[in-house]
Amino acid sequence: MSTRQTIRLTVNGKPYEREVEARLTLADFIRHELHLGGTHVGCEHGICGACTILIDGSSARACLTLAVQADGANITTVEGLRNRETGQLHPIQQAFVEAHGLQCGFCTPGFMMTTLELLGENPDPSDDEIKEALGGNLCRCTGYQSILDSVRLAARRLQSASAA
Amino acid sequence: MAFDIPTRTEDLPTDAPRFIGKTVNRIEDPALVSGTVEFIDNLSLPGMLHCAILRSPHPHARITRIDASAALALPGVEAVLTGEDVARWCDPCFTAPEGWGNYCLAVGKVRFVGEPVVAVAASSRYVAEDALELIQVDYALLDAVANPDEAMAPGAPVVFEERRTNVIQSRTYTWGEVDRVFAAADRIVSRQFRWNRVGANPTETFGCICQWDLADNSLICRGAYQTPRFMAIGRAASLRLPANKVKVVSHAQGGGFGGKGGPRGTDIAALLSRKSGGRPVKYIEDRMEYLLAGGGQSWDRYYDAALAVKADGTVTGFKVRLVDDQGAGAEGYGTISAAKPLAAFTGNYRIEAAFYDLTLVATNRAPTYPYRGYGPPPHNLVLESLMDVAARELALDPAELRRRNYIRPEQFPYTVPSGNEYDSGNYAAVLDRVLELADYRALRETQAQARAEGRLVGIGVVSTVEPGVFDWNAYATVGVPGVGVPEGVKVAVDVFGNVTVAVGFNLQGQGQFTVAAQVVADYLGVDMNSVKVTTASTDVALPHFGQGGSRLGVAVTGAILGACDKLRQTFCRVVAHVMHTDPEQIELFNGRLRMKQAPEHGMSIAEVAGLMLSRSDLLPPGVEPCPEATFVWVSPNRNQPDDQGRCRSYLTAAAATHVVQVEIDRDTGQVKILGYYIVDDCGTRLNPASVEGQLQGGVAQGVGAALYEEYVYDAQCQPLVSTFVDYLVPTIHEVPMTVKDHLVTPSPVAPLGAKGCGEGAIHTTPAALLCAINDALAPLGLECRETPASPQRLWKLLHDQA
Ligand code: FES
Ligand code: FES
Repeated sequence: MSTRQTIRLTVNGKPYEREVEARLTLADFIRHELHLGGTHVGCEHGICGACTILIDGSSARACLTLAVQADGANITTVEGLRNRETGQLHPIQQAFVEAHGLQCGFCTPGFMMTTLELLGENPDPSDDEIKEALGGNLCRCTGYQSILDSVRLAARRLQSASAA
Repeated sequence: MAFDIPTRTEDLPTDAPRFIGKTVNRIEDPALVSGTVEFIDNLSLPGMLHCAILRSPHPHARITRIDASAALALPGVEAVLTGEDVARWCDPCFTAPEGWGNYCLAVGKVRFVGEPVVAVAASSRYVAEDALELIQVDYALLDAVANPDEAMAPGAPVVFEERRTNVIQSRTYTWGEVDRVFAAADRIVSRQFRWNRVGANPTETFGCICQWDLADNSLICRGAYQTPRFMAIGRAASLRLPANKVKVVSHAQGGGFGGKGGPRGTDIAALLSRKSGGRPVKYIEDRMEYLLAGGGQSWDRYYDAALAVKADGTVTGFKVRLVDDQGAGAEGYGTISAAKPLAAFTGNYRIEAAFYDLTLVATNRAPTYPYRGYGPPPHNLVLESLMDVAARELALDPAELRRRNYIRPEQFPYTVPSGNEYDSGNYAAVLDRVLELADYRALRETQAQARAEGRLVGIGVVSTVEPGVFDWNAYATVGVPGVGVPEGVKVAVDVFGNVTVAVGFNLQGQGQFTVAAQVVADYLGVDMNSVKVTTASTDVALPHFGQGGSRLGVAVTGAILGACDKLRQTFCRVVAHVMHTDPEQIELFNGRLRMKQAPEHGMSIAEVAGLMLSRSDLLPPGVEPCPEATFVWVSPNRNQPDDQGRCRSYLTAAAATHVVQVEIDRDTGQVKILGYYIVDDCGTRLNPASVEGQLQGGVAQGVGAALYEEYVYDAQCQPLVSTFVDYLVPTIHEVPMTVKDHLVTPSPVAPLGAKGCGEGAIHTTPAALLCAINDALAPLGLECRETPASPQRLWKLLHDQA
């Protein structure tokens, strides 16, 4: 039950080395061992997407991943979006604020991490492409319309920033 | 002192509101998008233990033996709680009507699958769950009652033995001359409907951390609490503590929609803390626990209803017989949701007489709890579906039939037969606007074309009233005492002119902190970012309720306006004293206390606050050095109900009409939403983006209830739903991006003219979708009268016919 294993990984640019139980989920590791509480847990069975993080640049469900599987990985969580020094919001975060893309905000980190991956791969997505990308994230509050608006706004902002 | 709560934004002490009525960014959002908000599972206390709960696998059984010795021996386990402890230390939770409550943990027998039987506190959740596997429970199975028919059959097993029946309540209401209007009707249309159980399913489940102070015999509960004081009083009762020894600290919540508060989970964590010597115990409900038996399953209803209609389309009477499967008891106040339709029983219409026959039944399903809308969503589906049947029989357009029956603008305030008074509205104007927005004629043309091609395309046009600002008096006839729901705030100005608003509730998603900041900023003439809104724990908070019943935005606005008016009056006295004049000569305007006759002479609120706190020598007699004020708001002019439940209950009546066009796929039974249009009127829109968010969120939940979501039980009363793979919450693919517009008919009685709108579209969407589906099916002579109209259900309907 309590086989322990040492893992080394990078989270939001910071290296960590920790001894963990083999059965510890990556979500619990990030939340309760690293105290990065922004990765939320809504179902623990891979459906809601609240726990979405990036592992080596690809979106993944932290609840369905074991911490030991992340040995050697480079992980980004919602805490990695905001500018660490200035506290300035990432354009995706800013877009969610301005387009009212959240209500309770519990699903939002997952949506933003999915958006980060999408806009990295496809800077100018169509609505259908946005929906396709966000189809694995549940939001019980917003009815998704303002989330769609938020992602469109984020795409515009990021594009004009990279054009400038 | 009399206090002035303006019902019009023009009456604020400013030349133009800078924030109210404008779409402003929410003050709660920067922290939420940063992931730094302290949802309860983000909090950890020193020495904290973790709770896991062993739950009943049986719907009805006697517990004959529990052996938890092996669990207790597992390293890391600190305490095990069983029914024996609970029977010694607790009372069953209180309920309305009284006497239908369970203990937090089963005592002697289990009444539903998922009922807690044993709970463990251990060093981690992982260890606590290991311990559950070491516990042995023996059961002697009892026959279960799986539905109201079985429950009401003679000789049926009883869920609560001491009650000797499974009928929790049964009564009728008669409003007006029902028999006469039905006898005089040219046509009576009647149908039966089945609304299957759905539920809230906020993205965050319930969680709490409880700590029992053994020296003081007091308790602190931190958690995802929607109604903190209500929760504190409930815990005091069930845990046999003085109410002032229970402190509830409400944390931000990842959604609520009713039922967020976990009385059971709280009691269990509290008792585990007591049993483990006072260590804090965290309980985080997981999604499977939530889906099995969490707080939020709602509306398990069987309807039989009829409309009395004249040949010209005038609807004169409405009769409803409702049998509501409450599950195992009334712990979640699911019972009283059946009474909420009294606040708007006859919808938008001038129906003169109505009858309601209500039977609330206990079964071995999980207990029901509140869910957004709290009763009217199924009721509206019944009324609106019958309106469509009547239109079809009279060969009238459904929009036209509704128009002929609307309450007219000049008839407000309008008292409906079931007693409530609607404050204002203009339903025909809402309809006109939405028909234009949708290009209704074009929709009907495309439908005609599609029909000619053999496609199943239908349109729903549905109007509803959303009762806003709930009041306890609406529920008096089902066992809830009281008139008025207080909501209190404290508004404090510091020496720099910053303002702190202390409220009794925490974030849940609707944006009330922002509304609070908007109102304060406009009243006191400060910037929104110099307003801080904070949550007071129940030991120091003013009387409050929190989120519920489309009420809080309006209530908190009223409370803040009251507190600000108190501050204004005090400030005027202070400034008058310093300026050697009468308080009547001073006014607050655009953030300054100034001489009415010489407006260039005055002081800023920061200067007045500073003076009050640091120059007691300049204070007028009788004024305390305290630039702070509290106010507890309550709906004006509420009254006690009569024996038929009639009273002025909900303060406001918002209205909406939805137009939706759908197509049913003949091969799969899948409903595709081709277009969705909404016009609503909820009076003054305090933060328009938040209003639209509430509406659209209600659409999504309405889509779920109408088309996908269902707590399925088998014939033995075993739940078949335990994950989000079985319980289908709509994704971005299923929810339509709606086209919206609005009208503004301010409330003449509510603060700033704003009407409750938080429950919003869930009142309307299920009815609109079912009406559209039945319009699509009409050429085949088929009707769907059961929700959700899932692909499987519609396919079967189409297939059985073929
Ligand atoms: S918590 Fe991971 S997908 Fe729901
Ligand atoms: S904002 Fe609450 S779940 Fe998405």
